[in-house]
Amino acid sequence: MKVKYLFPNKFKKVGWFVLIPSVIIGLVTLVLGYEPDFLIVNVPAIFISELFGYKQLFGVIENNIMNEILGILIIISSIFVAFSKEKLEDEFISKIRLESLVWAVYVNYAILLFSFLFIYGLSFLWVMVFNMFTVLLFFIIRFNWQIFKLKKSDSYEE
Amino acid sequence: MKNSIKVERAKKNITQADLATLAKVSRQTINAMELGKYVPSTVLALRLAQIFEVEISEIFTLEESDWS
Repeated sequence: MKVKYLFPNKFKKVGWFVLIPSVIIGLVTLVLGYEPDFLIVNVPAIFISELFGYKQLFGVIENNIMNEILGILIIISSIFVAFSKEKLEDEFISKIRLESLVWAVYVNYAILLFSFLFIYGLSFLWVMVFNMFTVLLFFIIRFNWQIFKLKKSDSYEE
Repeated sequence: MKNSIKVERAKKNITQADLATLAKVSRQTINAMELGKYVPSTVLALRLAQIFEVEISEIFTLEESDWS
């Protein structure tokens, strides 16, 4: 079956290769609050707003680009992992892909709704940080689990 | 929808893996169809008919539940 919206199969390996270390480094640096000084650079910004009053459109600000780099790596690599073709991407796999995507969106927003109701103030910022990545994460987990189950369970009949 | 893929396969004496290769799908797909867990697309159904050299209606038949 011809699908135009998926990456070639080899992108999946590349994706895993980048995703796993990025997530580990991301979580560790997040917990430790570690941001190396050499990553502090001046970056262009569309909207600048300091905590106390000062607001400006377009400008340059000083920023540690650690989280930007990790965020970009995680997003791109998880898109590769999620949306690369299987070795044999047939119509049955496509159906599982679609189901998993719908399921992932449901779960993601169920958790977000729950967080809306029970997490307030600055803590909610953490919810938003994680929510940037969770749709893809849930999709990857569910899709690969389904494929794994399929390969394991199918009884071979002559 | 019922299908007689397994029967046709037995007639031709080929395995699920053989049929998968011929139809250009994975063996899991063939298995899921034989177990009635997956209804193939029209294209795949036609491919199977051509492989087995029979009419498509000889492989696939509608059931009462397909109308509800």
